[in-house]
Amino acid sequence: MQRIPLTPREDWQQKVESAGLTFHTLENGDPYWDESAAYQFTAAEIDTLEAAGNTLQEMCLAAAQHIIDQKRYAELDIPAEAIPAIEWAWNNEPPALYGRFDLSWAGAESGHAPKLLEYNADTPTSLLEAAVIQWNWVKEMDHNKELSAFGSLDQFNSIHEKLIAKWKDIDPFLSKPIYFAALDNPEDQLTVTYLRDTAEQAGLPTLQMYMEEIGWNDEQQAFLDPNEDHMFSIFKLYPWGPCFRKSSARTPSTPTRAPAGSSPYGRCFSPTKASCPSSGSSIPTTNSCWKPTSTAPAPWQTTSANLSCPAKARTSPSSATTPPSPPPEAPTTARRSIRPSHPKQSSPKKTAIDATPSSASG
Amino acid sequence: MCSDTLEHKFSMRRSAQVAAPLLAAAALAITTGCRKPEMQRCVDENNRVVADNFCASQPNQQQQQRPDGHGGFIFIPMLYHYYYGGWGGYGLGSTVGGGRLTPSWGRSYINSSGRTLRGGFGRSFSEGGSHFSGHAGGAGE
Repeated sequence: MQRIPLTPREDWQQKVESAGLTFHTLENGDPYWDESAAYQFTAAEIDTLEAAGNTLQEMCLAAAQHIIDQKRYAELDIPAEAIPAIEWAWNNEPPALYGRFDLSWAGAESGHAPKLLEYNADTPTSLLEAAVIQWNWVKEMDHNKELSAFGSLDQFNSIHEKLIAKWKDIDPFLSKPIYFAALDNPEDQLTVTYLRDTAEQAGLPTLQMYMEEIGWNDEQQAFLDPNEDHMFSIFKLYPWGPCFRKSSARTPSTPTRAPAGSSPYGRCFSPTKASCPSSGSSIPTTNSCWKPTSTAPAPWQTTSANLSCPAKARTSPSSATTPPSPPPEAPTTARRSIRPSHPKQSSPKKTAIDATPSSASG
Repeated sequence: MCSDTLEHKFSMRRSAQVAAPLLAAAALAITTGCRKPEMQRCVDENNRVVADNFCASQPNQQQQQRPDGHGGFIFIPMLYHYYYGGWGGYGLGSTVGGGRLTPSWGRSYINSSGRTLRGGFGRSFSEGGSHFSGHAGGAGE
């Protein structure tokens, strides 16, 4: 892996804004979207990252299974009222869309394997940056003289196509229209707008709203949109934690039953099971489940590591990954079509270039 | 050498085409200030929603002046005032935040009293003390 200093494009702010990234600059004036450097990877390094993503997904699912089997909810600060919803989602596997691994790695020459910093399977952003803005950057930089030595640029990233394909996969399991909701700020709204874009391109009818516009009608025991229509399927960029607190508070303005996605009368992405693997506390749980024995390699160095704790490997790939994992009915394989969250690029000449925002999400 | 290996080594792994017209339109709406109406609610001194008629009967100022008995005035914050935008809902007694005491130029505001109560979701993030936090006050991470 090599860091390549670059000159940001002229009018880069306007360029990323026109593609959808309005929050490109931080409040202190520093760029959030930083084009002053790119990263080159070898094809082997890209393969390492892809394998790490696959392994980590399996480890997180196994860790979640262990948490559920051993009922270690209290250690994760999961409220008691959330447990039935989590177990329902785990057993029924409602559709899941995507998640994001944050990895730390200094490249193959470091001699170390990629390490997981965080798995955000509940409210992952950085999506439009990785799928759209970075792709536009690569297309334009393909003819840039500063990168001419690398030939035609490639990018380890097909998030856009994977999302559209995933929507088509889970279409039969969804009631229409699909609602998209987030808080009223540009980053969250644009992230769900991009997801809505991919759903529309997959042929699904959609509607978008603010989280605070979600209504609960106690008489009908139903979630209602601003037009008083029932809502059955929603992607919410809003964590489960406060949803459960709202449910347990039982104030007149909040639902008194479990939120959609945790029960048969609603579907929600990401489902409540995401609150298990996306909890920060699940990282040490994952480590404890995957302690290598004697001279065995570290678990993230291989896709064939064995569990050393009494948790069975979960065979369904429906939990969220970025890009999305295969459809719920697809069998698990050693190399699923999932990728590490932050896109990397590789060219036929074993080079890869990657521009990354200076403030990586997570 | 098998064909899979050849394809794996030489095929491009980036997206072939990325089109996101809804995203581009939404970004344009944000940058040009085209926004949907925001909430206008009447709140008390603790930013809890009260009935609109509490505010309608008060003068349009942020403070009241009362004689202090020594020739001067003491300034007393208005008990009720309108609150523009931000999080929270219209539910009486619910808490609002993240908005303004004065309307923003170019924005429209609506008050509402529907039979469906809204605002149960969304307000936790700005109430303070939440460990869930996004980059710019959002819920995403």
